[in-house]
Amino acid sequence: MQTPADASPASGKPRFNSDLSQVWIGIALIAITGFGPSLIGNSYWVHTFQLVNIYIAVSIFQNFLFVDAGQKSFGQGVILGLGAYVTAIFFGLHEYTFLVAAMFGLLAATLGGLLFALPALRVQYFHLGFVTLSAAIVFPQLLMSLDSWTNGINGILVKLPWWHEEWVFGLSPLTIAVALYPMLALGIHYGIRRSRLGRQMRVAAVSPEAARTLGIKPGVMRFLAFIIAAIGTGIAGILFLPTVGFVSPQGFNVELSFVFFFAVVVGGRGQMLGPIIGIWIVFILPNIALAAFVEYRLLIYGVLTLATVMLFPDGIVGSVERWRLKRGVSGRGEQSFRIDAFLEELKGKDGFEPTDEIAIELKGATKRFGAVVAVDHVDLKVRKGEIHGLIGANGSGKTSLLNVLSGLSRVNDGAFFINGRDATRLSADRIANLGLGRTFQTPRIFPMFSLWDNLKVGEDARTGKASPEIHALSKALEAEFAQDNAELLSHGQRRLAEVMRSMLKEAEIVLFDEPAAGLSSSERKNFAKLVRFLSRQLGKTVIIVEHDLDLVWNVADTITVMEQGAIVAAGDPQTIAHDPAVQHMFVGGRGA
Amino acid sequence: MLEVKNLYAGYGIVPVIEDVTLSVNAGEILLIGGENGAGKSTLMGAIAGFNKPTAGEVLLEGQPLHGLAPEKVAKSGLRLVLDGHRVFPELSVYDNLRMGAAARRGDRSGLSAAIDEIYEVFPILKEKHRAYARDLSGGQQQMLALGQAFVAQPKVLLCDEPSMGLAQALLPPILSFLRRWAEAGTAVVIVEQHLQVTAPYADRAMIIERGTVKLECPAAELDDRLKSLETPEGAA
Amino acid sequence: MLSEILIIVVRGIAIGSIFAMIAMSFNIVHGATGILNFAQGNMLVLGAFGAFFLANGAALGIWLPMLLVTGVIIAAVLAFQGWLTLIPLRSSVQQDSWIISTVAVSVIVGALIMIYQGPFAYNVKGPAPYFRVLGVRTPGAYGLAIGCMLFWFFAMRFFSRKTFIGLAISALSQDFDAARAAGLPVRRLQLIAFAISGLMIGTAGFLVAPVISVSADAGLRYVLNGFVAAVVGGIGSNLGTLIGGPLVGVVAMLTAYKIGGAYQDLASLLVLVGILMLRPQGLFGRTSARRV
Repeated sequence: MQTPADASPASGKPRFNSDLSQVWIGIALIAITGFGPSLIGNSYWVHTFQLVNIYIAVSIFQNFLFVDAGQKSFGQGVILGLGAYVTAIFFGLHEYTFLVAAMFGLLAATLGGLLFALPALRVQYFHLGFVTLSAAIVFPQLLMSLDSWTNGINGILVKLPWWHEEWVFGLSPLTIAVALYPMLALGIHYGIRRSRLGRQMRVAAVSPEAARTLGIKPGVMRFLAFIIAAIGTGIAGILFLPTVGFVSPQGFNVELSFVFFFAVVVGGRGQMLGPIIGIWIVFILPNIALAAFVEYRLLIYGVLTLATVMLFPDGIVGSVERWRLKRGVSGRGEQSFRIDAFLEELKGKDGFEPTDEIAIELKGATKRFGAVVAVDHVDLKVRKGEIHGLIGANGSGKTSLLNVLSGLSRVNDGAFFINGRDATRLSADRIANLGLGRTFQTPRIFPMFSLWDNLKVGEDARTGKASPEIHALSKALEAEFAQDNAELLSHGQRRLAEVMRSMLKEAEIVLFDEPAAGLSSSERKNFAKLVRFLSRQLGKTVIIVEHDLDLVWNVADTITVMEQGAIVAAGDPQTIAHDPAVQHMFVGGRGA
Repeated sequence: MLEVKNLYAGYGIVPVIEDVTLSVNAGEILLIGGENGAGKSTLMGAIAGFNKPTAGEVLLEGQPLHGLAPEKVAKSGLRLVLDGHRVFPELSVYDNLRMGAAARRGDRSGLSAAIDEIYEVFPILKEKHRAYARDLSGGQQQMLALGQAFVAQPKVLLCDEPSMGLAQALLPPILSFLRRWAEAGTAVVIVEQHLQVTAPYADRAMIIERGTVKLECPAAELDDRLKSLETPEGAA
Repeated sequence: MLSEILIIVVRGIAIGSIFAMIAMSFNIVHGATGILNFAQGNMLVLGAFGAFFLANGAALGIWLPMLLVTGVIIAAVLAFQGWLTLIPLRSSVQQDSWIISTVAVSVIVGALIMIYQGPFAYNVKGPAPYFRVLGVRTPGAYGLAIGCMLFWFFAMRFFSRKTFIGLAISALSQDFDAARAAGLPVRRLQLIAFAISGLMIGTAGFLVAPVISVSADAGLRYVLNGFVAAVVGGIGSNLGTLIGGPLVGVVAMLTAYKIGGAYQDLASLLVLVGILMLRPQGLFGRTSARRV
């Protein structure tokens, strides 16, 4: 059997993203700067790059938090400080073994991350910026004033000779550890990014409402991201201790947190190599290359960052990467995303028909926005397997109704049921996990993902095991589209991609919000075929909100007409077409 | 007064409007009809500067408008009243009308006369002039939105779906106000789905389908022309 | 005992009114642009430096005009910052670059103060004499702070309800597209909003200079407390800042007297986390209307 993947294999295409190559370049750069100075026996650079590599590791986690989870934290210096300070307290002042002390340090860093993460469950955006910045200001104050525990302004001096013993080629355990750790951090960042969790995090960061309709809780994603970053940064804090041998409150002031944040911005947000280049510029440049002007370093950080935002917002690595993308990847024109061939494979049992079971039922559902009643005492039943068209003038409440069904907004009165189960009070992600999928008026395409990854987030949202046909489908799609740039898709193709996403999710009920808007007439015909395919071949229940009445009359089994939030007519297409409530919707009596 | 030549526009990468040409003279009403999603609102947005046309020209009295920001377009005498009776909800009725003066050309001395004129046409606005706009009904908000545009005394008025979200009975007084306004020398464009109600007030009509002009005719002939166009495909 | 409570309350409200003014200066810019200016605390400190350089210990005849001069200078600085901040927002799809650029400006201003003035806190002597509240001696600048907060509250109320520009700026925050369609000069109004926030924060800094820490590192602490005041009151609500500011101020004073001055910022942080967990929209904030 000839699959489409065999016909045009993905190999030979330029890579859509350079994350993996950047990881390898990053590892090479860290290896050179981490091991190189020891090999040639330059102890100044050995020490310098030990600290630089720890800062790189912290920035890598900052980068993950900033871009993959969309959280702007100005307090990563606090987490580093908690790891270092608590380890120093237990090791230096209370004489625990280093390992036990380090465990306490890691615990403290994790708890610090929890302080950031808890508000993240409720709020996002600039609020967390202020919370983390507050923490960065409060932390050194606390180190000073809790002097009975922290030794106050005098700091804590620790002796860890074992870490500095030279083994072979002048390499000490410390040199090896602080060089390997940022490499590991890069690997972890890459690994998370390629995982289901990482994709879901990025979806939640870019479009929280799309995430919720894919069964993702954005608050939980933000929470997890803060915790992961805190653990990673806490370990860096533990390594900080043998590297510097001394901790004091001044060492962990707000300036340190700014270094990590600014390094990510200057290096290139989201780029794997960004934190490495960023720290080299932001930290090494003012502190070492321009050491005579060390009092100007804050000014240099600020100016560099402001200039980056104003002049090349993608940062250094990001600008290079964008140039590469522009040059390397080209679109494949109008026909680049065709799914007919894939659907052929899927043709299951022919001839599903609408059943008498009820998939969705609304009882007296009412949704108000202030004084406006967007959905007004709506009673609606959607049978399993049918295509249900929802029509009405602009502002008649169709999209509001769809948002209620997908859980994005809650009814003020009334109730609704999915497969007989009360879903009135369920959140959008729970409803998604009951087997509901939807598309949006503007298709949610994620530009940082390849085309295949854009589809794969649907597969990620599936609750059960994949059916063999869908599994085969996803393999074929991966082979075909893994290196394609989703941003080059036309509007119509984006729409198809969203539909495909809901198929990979194996949603039993699919909601379409004005799917035909912006499609050409041939695309509309294909789309109508696709909807019928979903219903008749795959047995899905489809609710379609659409202004193109030709399309609705073409595909729908049942049509409901809304006006000013209420249902004014419902029934099969022939009956509805002659209903006076509907007549005026047709331009000049068409469809009658 | 207003000339649109071979306009192409869309949102982001979505092409919506293709090769639309139209013109309106001072003193006449052009009715633009078409199904929802046909691209009427995009066309209005492209003329008024909300989305940049990818090709084509928009000329007001021969002066190019395309590429200008919406507030500049308004200032030069083309006023778009957005769909969905959008007013400033937390301002009073009177202050909403006052905001209209921003797009007024030249002096502001005629402002209170213009506001009085609006109060005369829609007495309910006078009655409620101290109320917050959010407390008005949809129909009253539409009157207010039009009143705000009237205060600016634009050369061209674009009115996007004045009927949206309103009971149909509220439409005639609004339309006859627009009629009188046009007769005083303003070029008016009304975008509307409810053609039967609107056509009698208009001079010319145009139907947009899937982003292109499908037909153009005197408003009085619209009904017959549409019937003759009827396609078998449309009937279920 | 009673006098201690009185001191805590009076000083708390006075310090809190500084936070309230920062919060109000947030509100006007946020309403017009959606931006929260992280540099606002350093602008307050710049205003205080205005008092130090132009009117330290000066008589009322010099002090008053210098208050205006400082206000206008800070307004110009803010307008310039606003212009810079808005440039990338015009074209880019990333609409959150302001978080980075305002933090960068904050760092730059702090660094410049540090370079020219060093890390010390400066003492400023104002013309207002001590006064007694129920027998407790209180620095005159505390009275000025509270008076300044009330002045700006009522001034902003008048401005945004009666003047054309004020109404237009609130219109901008209510419906951006409708404002553009109505021909309101959006960019100019946004810069005016920045300038007004500068006028507000510059005069506030000038007035309270005798009782705040006029130093390079103080700005961040003030901006954070101002943000907490704004969040407690509900971002966008000036009425809320009248409650939120003094509340945060009293909590800070209470902490300072009962636990220790070093824990004031910690107390504010805990208030912030608490309010975000329990009532993220603040006391007077509305839940945002429908999107999608």
